[in-house]
Amino acid sequence: MEDESHNNTLPNGFNTGSPESPFLKTSTTTTQHNKEQDRFLPIANVGRIMKKVIPPNGKISKDAKETVQECVSEFISFVTGEASDKCQREKRKTINGDDVIWAITTLGFEDYVEPLKTYLQKYKEIEGEKLSIPKQMRSEQRLQQHHNNYHDQNNQPFNGAYASSNLISQPPYVPTDQKFSLTFSPNSIQSQLRQQDQIDSVGHWYE
Amino acid sequence: MENNQQQGAQAQSGPYPGGAGGSAGAGAGAGAAPFQHLLQQQQQQLQMFWSYQRQEIEHVNDFKNHQLPLARIKKIMKADEDVRMISAEAPILFAKACELFILELTIRSWLHADENKRRTLQKNDIAAAITRTDIFDFLVDIVPRDEIKDDAALVGATASGVPYYYPPIGQPAGMMIGRPAVDPATGVYVQPPSQAWQSVWQSAAEDTPYGTGAQGNLDGQSMEF
Repeated sequence: MEDESHNNTLPNGFNTGSPESPFLKTSTTTTQHNKEQDRFLPIANVGRIMKKVIPPNGKISKDAKETVQECVSEFISFVTGEASDKCQREKRKTINGDDVIWAITTLGFEDYVEPLKTYLQKYKEIEGEKLSIPKQMRSEQRLQQHHNNYHDQNNQPFNGAYASSNLISQPPYVPTDQKFSLTFSPNSIQSQLRQQDQIDSVGHWYE
Repeated sequence: MENNQQQGAQAQSGPYPGGAGGSAGAGAGAGAAPFQHLLQQQQQQLQMFWSYQRQEIEHVNDFKNHQLPLARIKKIMKADEDVRMISAEAPILFAKACELFILELTIRSWLHADENKRRTLQKNDIAAAITRTDIFDFLVDIVPRDEIKDDAALVGATASGVPYYYPPIGQPAGMMIGRPAVDPATGVYVQPPSQAWQSVWQSAAEDTPYGTGAQGNLDGQSMEF
């Protein structure tokens, strides 16, 4: 079977002789231009996600990862543009989760809608828990949540006021590590928390 | 009889959002049974993927370990001048949406590499996935013209006007038309790499605790292969 393939591929998965294109950025160019790198999500993260659905003996070429990097940025801009237009029509300044889901629905990504609505609902449930705790306790709560993989299945009464999607009844859940969860170093965890703090200060919770 | 059964299966996948796929199936129904079979299997794999995702998200309880950095997502969103303020939940939601997007695009791309019996995913596989999928139309400009060139040449060659097979680079396009993923020597439809892919999902499904019904459903789907 391998003999039938005429592609000139190196053992490490790189495809030699791939045509040069104005749309592609070599790794050298990427590392040398920090601003340009900011336009894409990190190639390591993208590659890790791609590997989840590739058979163990499959490989992903560098130019494939770079192409997907560009596609994801285009996807974010595409959906954000649609959500932003909706906010402007409705004279609102802040793009929220429901606007994102609306845009994704409008742009035809029907398969994404149900998973994302569930995801957003669960996020709001957890955020609702935090709001009932004094702010000074939130960082501690987040750390504890991360380490204990804590999950409270009780719905807060006031969540109904915010949740736009119907609550879905679920079977009892036995806590377990997610199959594909990443392991972060302590520094990375702290960085994640700081990112969250930064975001919280801008238009948090229907501000 | 078998032909009718396959067409019935095609009808069942009508609501499936892959409009191009459905159209190709209808066009090729008359004379390309092996391709129709291939298309069904591809759609089944994508349906299994979405079913798996729905179950995964049902059990998510940690919104800190994102696969993608939120700050970078926010920066990309802010590149649009019209975007003013972004709530905290929007980048978190995008992190999940982008993960689904990457996964779907990668699966569709891998199916193309698989058809060409390659083990390495390449740029032209992604180009093929983009041209084959309606919801990815907005990405056409991302892919270089020379990657789409082969596809354009094949469009005219297909009766339905929809390309259903992309020849590997370096081989004459005409030679491969009408014989998708069929071993010339034996004439038997062989798809060992796809089975390897299935084993990945089967392994993942078995490692995660689901309700009895859900588990049965997944097993039921797997047994069809």
